[in-house]
Amino acid sequence: MPTSAAHYLYDEFDAAVVADRAAEFRSQVERRLSGALTEDQFKPLRLMNGMYLQLHAYMLRVAIPYGVLDSEKMRALATVARRWDEGFGHFTTRQNIQFNWVKLKDAPDILDHLATAGMHAIQTSGNCIRNTTSDPYAGAVEGEADDPRIWCEAIRQWSTLHPEFNWLPRKFKIAVTASDTDRAAIRVHDIGLHLRRNADGELGFQVLVGGGQGRTPYIGSVIREHLPVRRLFSYLTAILRTYNRLGRRDNMFKARIKILVATLGAAAFARDVEAEWERVLTDSVPSDFPEEALAQIRARFGVVEFETLPARSAAFEQARADDRRLARFARNNLTAHKVAGYVIVNVSLKGDGVAPGDASAAQMDALADIAERFSHDEIRVTHEQNLVLPHVKLDDVALVFASLDAIGLATPNIGQIGDIIACPGLDYCALANARAIPIATAIQARFTDPDRAELVGEMKVKISGCINACGHHHVGHVGILGVDKKGEEFYQITLGGRADEKARVGDALGAALPFDQVAGAVDSLVEAYLRERLEGERFIDTYERVGLGPFKEAVYADAHPA
Amino acid sequence: MSDERLQAITANDLREGCVVFRAGDGWTAQLADADLFGDPAHGEAALETAKAETTRVVDVYLIDLTLEGGQPVPLSYRERIRALGPPVHPDLGKQTVGGPAIEAIAHATGGARSTGRLSLIKRK
Repeated sequence: MPTSAAHYLYDEFDAAVVADRAAEFRSQVERRLSGALTEDQFKPLRLMNGMYLQLHAYMLRVAIPYGVLDSEKMRALATVARRWDEGFGHFTTRQNIQFNWVKLKDAPDILDHLATAGMHAIQTSGNCIRNTTSDPYAGAVEGEADDPRIWCEAIRQWSTLHPEFNWLPRKFKIAVTASDTDRAAIRVHDIGLHLRRNADGELGFQVLVGGGQGRTPYIGSVIREHLPVRRLFSYLTAILRTYNRLGRRDNMFKARIKILVATLGAAAFARDVEAEWERVLTDSVPSDFPEEALAQIRARFGVVEFETLPARSAAFEQARADDRRLARFARNNLTAHKVAGYVIVNVSLKGDGVAPGDASAAQMDALADIAERFSHDEIRVTHEQNLVLPHVKLDDVALVFASLDAIGLATPNIGQIGDIIACPGLDYCALANARAIPIATAIQARFTDPDRAELVGEMKVKISGCINACGHHHVGHVGILGVDKKGEEFYQITLGGRADEKARVGDALGAALPFDQVAGAVDSLVEAYLRERLEGERFIDTYERVGLGPFKEAVYADAHPA
Repeated sequence: MSDERLQAITANDLREGCVVFRAGDGWTAQLADADLFGDPAHGEAALETAKAETTRVVDVYLIDLTLEGGQPVPLSYRERIRALGPPVHPDLGKQTVGGPAIEAIAHATGGARSTGRLSLIKRK
């Protein structure tokens, strides 16, 4: 059972579930194509397998549990992109991947192929518990109370095909972090779990409920400061049962748990959950995982066998002294690792002119090779639509940089203004009101000079093509929301949102702008920030100090000349 | 832009998912080859026939058009994107065939709601 693999190894039971589900969908597709199933009968079945009908084609959303991939899985995704799509895939803010050009007739073959690598599309749509997301640096960064992936995997096993929670009032999203620095946006999730130790050193979860974005954004409320880890699943069951019982089903715009929590008040909701929890604990079949089951999950993650290395690498130091591009990449795309001599490499999927989150089949195959050779066969997907190589030796960074550069993935802009989150928008999405990707590329085009981008520093721009907020605009330092004004695209800008441990919803800047004024407006925001900022301030710091005033003046003076 | 208001019937192909337009008793990939209806009553009647083809197409609805240089062009920006392909990927979708019909759609301006599509979304 124990393995040297750094990621979870699926067992025969997992494989059987995935294969059975693929076979079941093949039968459903055949019946739909023959006319034995009507579209109304088929649509819920297709959605339960991650297939949406978009503007130009079907879209298949494939689950990447807590954003963790190995080389085998990445190659399977590359094959789907190459054989059944137009040669690329789109990594999403749910740490999943979407293929925008698939055909319904091919879907059974795609799911069969994914199943060979232990992948599937189960619960990537529908009113169920969706992919649980986590910190992309899990297990690699200093200061974690535990490895959150253990708990994410346990949640995956508990929530997959859970008979009681597959028909909730609306979709349901859980995020887990074990670090005080929140890289998983847990405060804007239906449930956010912060794994940490209490004053007695006992491991537990701080539980937040009722966060979310979409039409009505809320920051989650803490309903329990310390939930002993062994009680996680009885408590989650209590929350979900409370939601299932009290959540609204009469109005889909008011059906998310955030509306219930806001309506009742967090304290009252917490009391309901505690009362339900007492009942759950008396169920004849316990909800909580036995200790041995959790130990088994932990064991199936194996142990990364790190080498004992010096904290500094002479080879790396020399290479970056010799190569200014590598030096810039190192400044912007590397994060400290918990083990001496190692580093976390962030791979930006935000190259100039590229749709944020897109990767070609060739890039995916090459990334699989790089991960296999240099990062203990692990790749992470981030909710900011980038990838991470979590365990790279400092000695290998120059080689990794060269390998990434060869496939166009060495863009040194992590966290900067060009590192934009954008949903597919009206280029693809049937629900969108406006395009998001061209706004992102237009902004990027104004900051192609890496010196200027570095001068601006951290600035998180997030763009959604409609109020569903797949592009997380509410929590962008600069949020951009596409709206439809009598059939024309306009964009509302918000400032000061953030998704981290100080999460807040952004403030509206002013009247919506037409498409061709948005990138210029962002440029004006940057200029105002550079004028206003004090030594060491990031954009968000300056905004929180000076407020909307200078930014509003800058944008509307420029955007609406007399 | 012509003052003439026309309609066409659009859908997505069930098997492939691609955008199609009603032409005679079948469906075509290009709007330029679609049947155009000047009389709303004729469009509604043809829509009912088209909707019956449940093993060939899904999400069938009428779109509003005008003529630009003699070519049919959707009034709605959303429908222009459906008739062309994603603007961010000019190498993909129907726009790759080029020609005057595609050029007319690509260079159209202005907007209007896609009324047929809107009613579909409301039903979802």
